[in-house]
Amino acid sequence: MSRGNEHDEIRERLALFVAGALAAGEEDRIARHTATCPSCAAEIERWQLISGGLRQLRTPQPSAALFEGTRALAEAELAAQTERRRSRIVLTLLTVFSWTITIAGWPVFRLVTSGLLSLLDIRFRELWILFAIFSALTWVAGGSAAVLLSARRRHERRLA
Amino acid sequence: MGGDAAVLRLRRGDPDALATLMARYQNRIYRYLLRLVRQPADADDLFQQTWLRVAEKIHSFHTSRSFEPWLFTLARNLAFDHLRRVRPGSLDEPVSADSEEETKASQLASLDLGPFEQLLAHERAGRLAVALERLPVRYREVLSLRFEEEMKLEEIATVLDAPLSTVKSRLHRSLDQLRSMLETGRTSEVRE
Repeated sequence: MSRGNEHDEIRERLALFVAGALAAGEEDRIARHTATCPSCAAEIERWQLISGGLRQLRTPQPSAALFEGTRALAEAELAAQTERRRSRIVLTLLTVFSWTITIAGWPVFRLVTSGLLSLLDIRFRELWILFAIFSALTWVAGGSAAVLLSARRRHERRLA
Repeated sequence: MGGDAAVLRLRRGDPDALATLMARYQNRIYRYLLRLVRQPADADDLFQQTWLRVAEKIHSFHTSRSFEPWLFTLARNLAFDHLRRVRPGSLDEPVSADSEEETKASQLASLDLGPFEQLLAHERAGRLAVALERLPVRYREVLSLRFEEEMKLEEIATVLDAPLSTVKSRLHRSLDQLRSMLETGRTSEVRE
């Protein structure tokens, strides 16, 4: 590359050089060039005036009232989010628990009622109905417990 | 950093951690928002929305990532949504001439200098702030992130959700445009 071409190419990159946006190798090349090129050295100084000025612009600050108001709102939102998250976890656990009870309940139900069923002469179809009622009651009880638990936690948080 | 103790505590729902992070980032986030939307009232509103969004989304934040770019991304998304809603086209259009009055960003003071140097620096800084405000929003933001927030290019790319090459070229064009405005004294009709 001729000296003139290199000079033009480097001059084009000086803004990014001052912005610290070049790779280390490229920075070295520019530094070597500007050490022997007064024109590019002067150009770097002009760019530095701009970059330095940008770095020194005054930082506007939010008012204390804005900060405090935002903090209060964000804290309330954080508490609400945390509460919702906990409720989701509790609900998930209750759902898993309910399904476990339901699935595990079937063989237990058969075992416990097999002797009684033979005495009462209850058919298989009726046994399913009894099991469905049992499951429904389990789910309703679990759901009610979750709702009550959630309402109680919300009430406690409001009092806190 | 993503592993910041305050960030970890915030993920567990600790309100003190929220206050800590707000105190740490309040000036930088506010400045960035003000650079984007330019109007203090809008910046106030977006500042509040940003922290509400932090409280809302912190559980989905991955601690393997860095908190700072994530925070600035939230602020940026809100600011750009606001600009699209309130001033459609403002993301590409030049700044209108009706905002020539001195704004908060142009009310600048200089560093601890003598009276004469202070006057010169004040005047220079004032011109720079006005020129910065005249730039399109995408140019203002990349300059603010690089020189005011002193973010690395990779972090800026994360905030902008753009490739590194785009960040570099935008930074280059922004500086060229800013310098051109300062040298010619032209402070309007700037396009990307």
